[in-house]
This record gives sequence, structure tokens and C-alpha cells, in this order.
Amino acid sequence: MRHFRRHPVQACFSVVLLGCIAWAIWSTGFWLVQQAEWSVVSGNLPLFAVGGYPEASRWRPILWLALLVLLTGFTLAQPFLLQRLRLNSTMLSWSWLLMMPLGLWLLAGGGVLAPVPSRLWGGLVLTLLLTLFSGLIALPLGILLALGRCSELTTARLLSKIYIDGMRAVPLIAVLFFGQLLLPLFLPVQIEINRVFRAVVAFALFAAAYVAEDLRGGLQAVSPTQIEAAAALGLGPWQIQRLVILPQALRIAVPALTNQAVGLLQNTSLMAILGLVELLGISQSLLANPAYIGRHLEVYVWLAALYWLFCTAMALMARQFERQDPSNLIAARRS
Amino acid sequence: MTVVVRAESVNKSFKAGNRALDDVSFTVRHGEVLVVMGPSGSGKSTLIRTFNGLESIDSGSLEVVGIPLDSDHDERQIRRIRRRVGMVFQQFNLFPHLTILQNITLAPIQVKSIPKLQAERRAHALLDQMGIADQALKYPAQLSGGQQQRVAIARALALDPELMLFDEPTSALDPERVKEVLDAMRQLAADGMTMVVVTHELGFAREVADRVLFMDAGRIVELTDAEEFFTHAKEERSQRFLNQMAH
Repeated sequence: MRHFRRHPVQACFSVVLLGCIAWAIWSTGFWLVQQAEWSVVSGNLPLFAVGGYPEASRWRPILWLALLVLLTGFTLAQPFLLQRLRLNSTMLSWSWLLMMPLGLWLLAGGGVLAPVPSRLWGGLVLTLLLTLFSGLIALPLGILLALGRCSELTTARLLSKIYIDGMRAVPLIAVLFFGQLLLPLFLPVQIEINRVFRAVVAFALFAAAYVAEDLRGGLQAVSPTQIEAAAALGLGPWQIQRLVILPQALRIAVPALTNQAVGLLQNTSLMAILGLVELLGISQSLLANPAYIGRHLEVYVWLAALYWLFCTAMALMARQFERQDPSNLIAARRS
Repeated sequence: MTVVVRAESVNKSFKAGNRALDDVSFTVRHGEVLVVMGPSGSGKSTLIRTFNGLESIDSGSLEVVGIPLDSDHDERQIRRIRRRVGMVFQQFNLFPHLTILQNITLAPIQVKSIPKLQAERRAHALLDQMGIADQALKYPAQLSGGQQQRVAIARALALDPELMLFDEPTSALDPERVKEVLDAMRQLAADGMTMVVVTHELGFAREVADRVLFMDAGRIVELTDAEEFFTHAKEERSQRFLNQMAH
């Protein structure tokens, strides 16, 4: 208070600012509770979740979603559950990897499950599928590119550099367009590649260039004396990369890679422009329905909340990985 | 008596005109402890780093544990040598992402294809010998400098080397941590390990070394029995060095 008395201008400014904030909170809250018509969201939850997936088989993508949420919960609660359930991180990593083929099988069908064509996939499930799969492909690809970029072989270095610089110079939407619209023109008519698959590949090729650059920073941060120590033990060049350098570079790159993962999740919404009915796509087709005319705000606020939720979950998992890293490699760089 | 290292007129320069190693010739005998001393920049570290191929040589020839090594820097020969020669660095250089146990078993498993269980049993024995048996599952960052350096010694010993190279192993340690590392090295010497040690620890050198190699500006100034070196060094340069170290 003494501070305010001595600086009346600042005091006025603070009061005005506080007033603005209070007004914003109140009006937002009022809109959320009183004015917004949430029926457009609450009435279409299955649509947001799975898009136009055949109703009889809806349990399949929903089961996958539930498993993903469950696994996320386990991963986040791991420090508390570790002793009680004897969960260890290796099991969790394998479960995450296992979610990929499981998701593909649940969605696409095959074996005992009736096949469902990919053009019927949609909603949140498609968003997560695009993110997880393109991330999973982009990571090894990015590792190879980063190794090539730091390699002593001139050809490998040059090719990686051209690829990385090329990819980074092209906007993502152009890469996606190429994958969706131009690629089929170049291929013979008989070969028809699945649209979701084409999107995943385009995302992965694009993200790999950025992953490679993040990793290059990690590779350069590993002290050259580590290479010396490993070499002095008789390890070969590949063993040194695989066992000593890469594991450290990956840990150092975790914060940057988290950024990429969050960006990837959000970028999948670009596929709406190209006709995939992922979260944004399904929302747009919902809004085109005359019954929901003018409900843009509700739908987009709901979308924002969903994206926020999933990005936060990702960021939390990454932060937990950082905190748990017993070697302190990540923490050491952070401080 | 067999020879573990034989150097014949070894030359090495990093920049033209500046000799890091200048016509160096000598031998290291089996079971002996050779301490390499000299002012900084005299080529001590460069010398022992040529033994396991971390530095190449420009001319002359080397023979380490019976394997010849010359200026063409043959990778295969070097790797054969490295499997049989252990090295301990000034900055420990443990692998920070691996536990102590994994640090020690990495090379035996990957380089010598020793089964994991057997490698771990040996690692535990080595940690016990180094007096840090209870640290096996920790990470390097959780250990003190002295403990880390003892892990580094255990890691080098895990390949059952015929020769151990120490590159200023105590220079990066707190003064009160120096003793525990030197004790481990003393024990190693008492067990008959062939050791080449670059160090500034006069007490250790006087007590443990069989011979002292004194270098200056890339040249061997003096190579004599440790006893003799410390009581009456022949060369004026060595005397001056010892005088300065004593103060």
C-alpha cells in the first residue's frame, strides 16, 4: 500500500489493469455458463471422438482412445505407482510402442475385426493416429539425418544437409499438398495409396528435418572426450555412436523434441484443409450442418480445450521424463 | 624380461615446427611402473596417448603389447591394442547416461562378447577392489570425483589389460580425494600391473615408480631409476623441476 501511495500513476494503472482482468474473467465465465449452447458439443461427442466411423464398430477406436488415456495416466502417475505396481519404465515404453500396431489393427480391422476403410476414420482418433505414427517414423529418420549431417563422409553429410535445408525451406502445407494431391498423379492408376498413410508419410518426412536439427544440437553438446573414452575401450565407431553418443544426445534434445511433438499434434489440423476429417475437419463439417449454424465459438472453444489437454499431457510426460532421468543429463543443461 | 611398450624415434607435431614429441625412444618393461614427469606442454600426455592410438605419430615406430603401430595409423591394429590396454583420463570421462555397473560392463560385453552375468560379476569384484562396492547402481553424477576416478580405473581394468595408462589421474580432484585414487593405484602396482603414469604427485612417484621418465619440450631429458631421480637427478633441467615442485 505504501508503494501505491508513493506512485499514484502506477496505482491507477494497476487498478485499471485489475479491472480489465476481472471483466474478462467475468464475461468469459458468463458466456461459458450462460450464453454458450453446448448442445453442439455434448450432442456430438462420438463424432468428435471417432468421426464418421461406422456406428457398429465404434467401440474399436473408442477402446484405443481409452487405452491411450489410461496409458498416459499410468505414465504420469508412474512415480507414485512405481513401487506399488512394480511398473517399470521399460514396460511403459513397450506398452507405448505396442499401442501403434494395436491402434492400426483396431481401426483398420483385419482378422476377426471387420475391415473399415481409412476414409471413414476421423475425429480425435485420427488426430492422435497421425501424430503418433508420424512422430514414430520421424524420430528414426531424424536420427539418421542428424548422424549423416555430422558424419565424416562427405556424400552423407551433403545429402543430409540438402534434405534438411530443402525440407525446412518448404512450408508444411506444401509438403502435405504434394503428398495428397500430386503424388497420386505421378503414380500409375493401379497403385492407390491410402490417404491417411500418405499424410503420415508427408508429416514424417517434414518433421524428420526438424528432429534432425534438434538432435544435431544434442550431438554437438556431447563432449568429444566421451568419444575418446569409448574409443580407448576398444569400441568401434558405430558402437560409439549407438551406445555412447546417441543416448546422450537424445536426452539432451528432449526439451526441443517435446516442442516438435506438440507442434506436430497441432499441425495435423492442416489436414482438414486437404479433406481428412480429423478434429478440425469434423468440426468444420459439423458447423456446415444447418442445425448448428452460428455455433462457431462453442465448437472452437471446445477444440482449443481438447488441443490444450493433449498438448499439456505431452508436455507433462516429457517433463516427467526429464525429472526422472537419473543421469541428470537433461537437468544439467536446464540449470 | 618382456617389453610391453617399445618406442623408436617417435616424432609428432601438431603444428609445423612445433614438436610435441621429438625423437622419443624408450621401452616399458613388463610389470614395471613408469612415471612420466615434466612441465606442462612437455608432451607427456601426447606420449601416452600415442600408445593406444588416441594420437597418431608422424614418424618412427611403436610396439605396444606386441602389436606394431606406425605412422599409417591402422584402425584394426589400434583396436587390437585398445582391447588390451586400459586408460584412465584426467576428467574421468565416465558415461553419464549409464550406471556405474553399466559403465564397467559396456566394453566387456560389446568388445569382448562376454556374457552379461559374467561381466557383471567381474564388475562387482572390481568395484569391491576399488572400495566402492555399494555404488554399482548409481549414476556418475551421484558420485564424488574420487569415486568417479576409481570407477574409471575399474572400467579400464574390466578388459583385463596388460598395460594401464594414467593421464594425470588426480589433477582434477579435490586435494582430500587424491589419496583414495592413489591408494587404488598403489594396490594395482603391488599386484604387478604394468603402468605408465603421467602425474605431478611426487610422493606417489617416489614411492611407487620403478623408473621416472622426465620430459621437456617433447624430448626425453632423463630416464632413470626412481630412487636415483629423486636423490640425484643427473640433468640440470630435472633438478630445476624438482626444486620448483618441492616449493
